[in-house]
Amino acid sequence: MVVIDMETSKIVAANVDVYYGGKQALFDVTLDIAAKQITSLIGPSGCGKSTFLRCFNRMNDLIDICTVHGQIMMDGIDINKPDLDVVRLREKVGMVFQKPNPFPKTLYENIAYGPTIHGMATTKHEMDEIVEKSLRRAALWDEVKDRLHEIATGLSGGQQQRLCIARAISIEPEVILMDEPCSALDPIATAKIEELMDELRQNFTIVIVTHSMQQAARVSQRTAFFHLGNLVESGETDQIFRNPSNQKTEDYITGRFG
Amino acid sequence: MNKEKLLIKRYKAEKRFQFYGKAAITVALMFLFVFIFQIFSKGYTAFQKTWLYVEVTYDQEMLGVKGKIVSVEEMAALDFYELATSSLLKLDANVSRGNKRDIIKMFAYTFEEEIKDYLLRNPQYLGKNVIVPLTASDDLDQVYKGNYPRDIPEERRRVNNYQLKLFDEMTSRGHVSSSFNLSFFANADSREAELAGIASSLVGSIYSILVCLLFSFPMAVAAGIYLEEFAPHNWFTDFLEVNINNLAAVPSIVFGLLGLGVLLAIFDLPRSTPLVGGITLSLMTLPTIIIACRASLKAVPPSIKEAALAMGASKMQTTFHHTVPLSMPGTLSGTIIGLAQALGETAPLILIGMVAFINTVPGTPVDPASSLPVQIYIWSESAERGFVEKVSACIMVLMVFLVTMNLGAQTLRYKLEKKWS
Repeated sequence: MVVIDMETSKIVAANVDVYYGGKQALFDVTLDIAAKQITSLIGPSGCGKSTFLRCFNRMNDLIDICTVHGQIMMDGIDINKPDLDVVRLREKVGMVFQKPNPFPKTLYENIAYGPTIHGMATTKHEMDEIVEKSLRRAALWDEVKDRLHEIATGLSGGQQQRLCIARAISIEPEVILMDEPCSALDPIATAKIEELMDELRQNFTIVIVTHSMQQAARVSQRTAFFHLGNLVESGETDQIFRNPSNQKTEDYITGRFG
Repeated sequence: MNKEKLLIKRYKAEKRFQFYGKAAITVALMFLFVFIFQIFSKGYTAFQKTWLYVEVTYDQEMLGVKGKIVSVEEMAALDFYELATSSLLKLDANVSRGNKRDIIKMFAYTFEEEIKDYLLRNPQYLGKNVIVPLTASDDLDQVYKGNYPRDIPEERRRVNNYQLKLFDEMTSRGHVSSSFNLSFFANADSREAELAGIASSLVGSIYSILVCLLFSFPMAVAAGIYLEEFAPHNWFTDFLEVNINNLAAVPSIVFGLLGLGVLLAIFDLPRSTPLVGGITLSLMTLPTIIIACRASLKAVPPSIKEAALAMGASKMQTTFHHTVPLSMPGTLSGTIIGLAQALGETAPLILIGMVAFINTVPGTPVDPASSLPVQIYIWSESAERGFVEKVSACIMVLMVFLVTMNLGAQTLRYKLEKKWS
């Protein structure tokens, strides 16, 4: 059992249950997400890790039949309260999806969209700076600086995903959620994204859902293992991979099932 | 071996299917070709107009202005009847009393006005002897175009031998010719085929379509966006959806009755006008656009909506910044399809009175007007040969209108799609 340390925890989820209609998808999950670290959520398909991730920015609200019970505290505020302003929440919690999903607009418009709707820039010059800074932080600037006004869907898959990361960080969130961000990418693009995540860790709290054991081991400091809607084990990544305390965890990471 | 046979069977099945497809397309193309050929071969002569050239002496004495200097305004007030008829009768130097009427009947009844207008346009001809082109009567027009048989017995012919003799004399003198029929586009409907034109119905159709677009597009798009993106999913919205789909299948004449009973009887809007016609048609177009709008909203990838929402965009921002612009090409196509349907609609317009004989060109949507399909319907009931070619010509104009609209829609769609992908 991991001791919940309120000082370094960004998000503390306590007794989270999620139901899709009558079917329960998550059972009493309690987990803390450490600030400015990468936490990976691993587990076989259908184990509820993506569902859990989507609790942090209330994307589950989009599914009519989905109900989330329990307490999810972020900076002392319960983000699972029904009356919470989700627009405010999503300003602080950005998300990168499994499949790159840039808007079918120009690269510039993609990055500028968030800052525009949140009123972060008053002049064109300020906006230019935000766009450049975001693209630089996503390690994409040098590749695309001459084609900012081309349509984003013309980029390669890896570039599109980094564009989505740049778009997510353009509004300076505190947390970035990544839902299998590399599953649609080739190994070279994956390596670039992983490198990028390691740098982003200095400024952002990152939660990543991944199917790749190696990726979890490479990028994350903390790992949580889910199975059939239950949180089986969580802790330091090293400890989980070297010396898991649960038999199921060991079976999964050694490739015996999943 | 069995596998080999199966493979051959599969290839044969594919070949058979391809043959059926090609046969279907060939038959469809044949029908289209026959239809177009039929319309064109019957209708192209309507775009030509036959002129009879008559020598007219603008005699000042006959007009009662001998020795005076008259302005154009004063000329317009003069009586040209005697001068006009005597000019026509001069075609036969020794015309008998009984044949006078035959000569006059060779011309459109507007001959007096045409002779007068010619002078008003060229006031320098006052007192001079000039050759003036006059509109030929419908029957001679058809004879000249070869649509009217000359060899049937005289008593069953609308043109008698005397008229034909005079006409042939004029032809040999080079006093008969034809030119592009501008009056077909400039004139409103008329009882006389040689004078009837589509101005009233063409303008009426354009106004009706504009009114229809103005009423149905904003309403349908608002309804479509609300129902698809914002409305809760419950029994009431399901009920609405079923009803909208049913509305699209309601026969158009029912909407005509609705227009008659509500727009004319209760709201007392001016009858026979494109305003009422357009509103009635918009009832028909409304469900078509709503369905197209909802379908194209549904087709926008959810990943785009999720991306916007995850950036902290509100529901409204997500919808209007991303979903709606992406759905626009589909919505516009649906709109054009709906409008094209409305353009060809006859029954509801007949019920609200656009079938009335309108011999003026409407200036505004609240003036009485006809519409192209109704005009086709009216003319197709007339027996004169002149109207037969006009029906085909009117169909051609309607088809050109439709093709132009569809081309416009395609261009718009192409442009919008280019922008968004």
